[in-house]
Amino acid sequence: MAHFDAAGAGGLRVSIEHPEAEALLRRFEPVVRSTKGDKFFPMDVEPYVRACSLWVQRPGEEAVCVVPEGKLDLDRLPQQPLDEAGAVHFLKFMDPHDIAEPGSRTGRFRMFGRRAARSFKESREAFRAGRGRLARVGYFSRFVDALYSITLLARGRVPGESAAAASVSYERIMAEGEHYRYHGRVTRGNGWVVLQYWLFYPFNDWRSGFFGANDHEADWEKICVYLSESAGGEVRPEWVAYAAHNYAGDNLRRRWDDPEVEKVGEHPVIYVGAGSHASYYAPGEYLTELNIPLPSPLARTANTVRGFWKERLGQYAGEGGGGPGYLHIPFVDYARGDGLSIGTGGDREWDPPRLMLDPPPRWVSGYRGLWGLYARDPFEGEDAPAGPMYNRDKSANRVWYDPVGWAGLDKVPPPDEALAAALDRRSDLESRCAALRIEISEKSRLLKKLGVEVAALRDRSHLDAPYEEGARRLAELSGEVDRLRARLATDETVSASLEEYAERLQAGERDPARSHISRAHRPASEAELRGSRMAEAWAAASVSLMLISFVAIALFEREHLISMLVVSIALFAFVEAGFRGRLVNLVSSVNIGLAVIAALILIYEFFWQLVVTTVLGVGLYVLWDNLRELRR
Amino acid sequence: MAGPGNISYRPMRAIGLLLAFQVVCLAGLGAHEFLQVDWRGVGIEAMPRSRQVIEAVTLILFVPPAVMTLMSALSFLLLRRKGWLLAAISQGLSLGVCLWLYSQTQPWYIYPIMAYCILMILYLNSQDVRVVFHAQWRTSTQQEPGGSA
Repeated sequence: MAHFDAAGAGGLRVSIEHPEAEALLRRFEPVVRSTKGDKFFPMDVEPYVRACSLWVQRPGEEAVCVVPEGKLDLDRLPQQPLDEAGAVHFLKFMDPHDIAEPGSRTGRFRMFGRRAARSFKESREAFRAGRGRLARVGYFSRFVDALYSITLLARGRVPGESAAAASVSYERIMAEGEHYRYHGRVTRGNGWVVLQYWLFYPFNDWRSGFFGANDHEADWEKICVYLSESAGGEVRPEWVAYAAHNYAGDNLRRRWDDPEVEKVGEHPVIYVGAGSHASYYAPGEYLTELNIPLPSPLARTANTVRGFWKERLGQYAGEGGGGPGYLHIPFVDYARGDGLSIGTGGDREWDPPRLMLDPPPRWVSGYRGLWGLYARDPFEGEDAPAGPMYNRDKSANRVWYDPVGWAGLDKVPPPDEALAAALDRRSDLESRCAALRIEISEKSRLLKKLGVEVAALRDRSHLDAPYEEGARRLAELSGEVDRLRARLATDETVSASLEEYAERLQAGERDPARSHISRAHRPASEAELRGSRMAEAWAAASVSLMLISFVAIALFEREHLISMLVVSIALFAFVEAGFRGRLVNLVSSVNIGLAVIAALILIYEFFWQLVVTTVLGVGLYVLWDNLRELRR
Repeated sequence: MAGPGNISYRPMRAIGLLLAFQVVCLAGLGAHEFLQVDWRGVGIEAMPRSRQVIEAVTLILFVPPAVMTLMSALSFLLLRRKGWLLAAISQGLSLGVCLWLYSQTQPWYIYPIMAYCILMILYLNSQDVRVVFHAQWRTSTQQEPGGSA
């Protein structure tokens, strides 16, 4: 059993006792607002596990059922024997063949089919995608997206009927006992009290239901509320962090008083992405890009060329600042908040939470397998996630063992500690400055003595060797004293700045609420969503149309293949750029491409003339420069 | 001369003059080529068309980009910044025509046009010039972020 206790996170981390923990969790529990058409909501893990079977996949073998459906529960889940290297334990929530309905096998299928179809129809009627994701991104991204979809045929993936089957199964669980539950955990770390809300969804139907990247059984999402604690034991909410996909760091968290954090009383409001269950601060449609990095040598070359183009040639190279990589596959997270709302003031109230206090329950710490189907997807997008404590590869999950560092809060002291931290740091710097002053004073004295010694040795031929040695030591010492003085000057400036900062803190002033955010995730603006139907239709059809036109040209215009291809690509690119308001970028890129080709032709045709002209030019310049110097 | 917001208009005037110069050169080149040809007998079908005739006729291809260049030059000289897109398209078209002619008949005049267009493209795309236009486009199109759906 793995415990992450005080030694694990590099700081104090003591569990708060049960009644206080539950009261704290309930006081700040979130309000979850889903999107119309979403079929799965946060549920308790217990009925889910009871509806699952447990399997193990050993390398090179067929998956074997370890515990059949109906025999599994939270106590039995972690009681699995050790297995060989590379083996993956996983739960199986849904197998359409196992839908337990009375009657014959055919009857069961018919019944399942009807219910799944009804569920699918209801979902479709409730959800309208609006302006498609493809209309919001570039041609190349759409082409890569098409390739990505094609790879799903070759990759391991969750079967197509699984979402409908999971929906039926979820409905059955809810019919037996409707509940909406989160799994709560309270920890202390780096001066913060952290409330963790782990939301468990039985199925992620982002791909099949909402044009997203993946489907998988089971989904663990998390929300953290960070509290500061006064000496009297009173807690005050300071920060929140909502998990969205695999993002981490400063951009994830918001200060409690940030206007973007919507609240109902003391309950932060979360807008949940349809199907993906990613959490957002504001309602809307978020463009999420899956970055595909270029291979390292290619990326290095691209960066070098870009640097040369921008720095050396002084050419415009865009604003940069895009994410890493050059290939991006776009997906839209629909977090509209117009569906079922759970929590204070919502359509449904939360049931009492299932607590996961330290030491964590055995089903959390003892089961390292996946919480749903192991689809054997090499990109892992279609594989179910592991539990709260682990990653898919069985390593420890950072959100569990370091929730403060996960949101980039490890560098931020709680407000009550900020002043002391600033004064402490200033005191450290002052001590260092004092030590530096002494060191500089001693070394300056030595420098003067050494200077006098070197002056005394100068122009004495019989003392050349000690003179040279002395001069070398003098230069070294002089450089060292210079560096020490520069460091002292910097430290003094920083110390003064810290003093000023401490005064501001003392006066009750705080940093701007959003100063830590470098790139906030924002929903699409009204203007972006107002795109015309034409643009949407074009986005949906353009890649296919282009490929068809290529085939037509290859079949019927073989004589003018190259020129027709160029004309056709130019036409498609022009229309595309027009729809997306990117004509300037297109024209600029095409011009640069043409200029490079033309330059190569000129070099090829006039190589020797260019060499001669260049040499003549350099010669004339040198002559002019020298003559100018003579004239002065 | 600096306009409001410390934006220098010098690059715009310079580009305007360079574009006007390009149009004048193209017009001069056209006139020169057409005057070189003995047009008598050109219409007779049996006569093989000389290289000089072909070179002169293909110059017509430069008329649309030349017209666009003239319009963009006037835009620049009148300090209308929207001329940048027009100028960029005209340079791209001119280069495109040059490259096509290079793959076909390779008339002598495409080389100087190519060289001039390359320099103009680099100048139009230079950081100093783009920043002037980019800044203006941004201020005219920028919206307050954070609009929600």
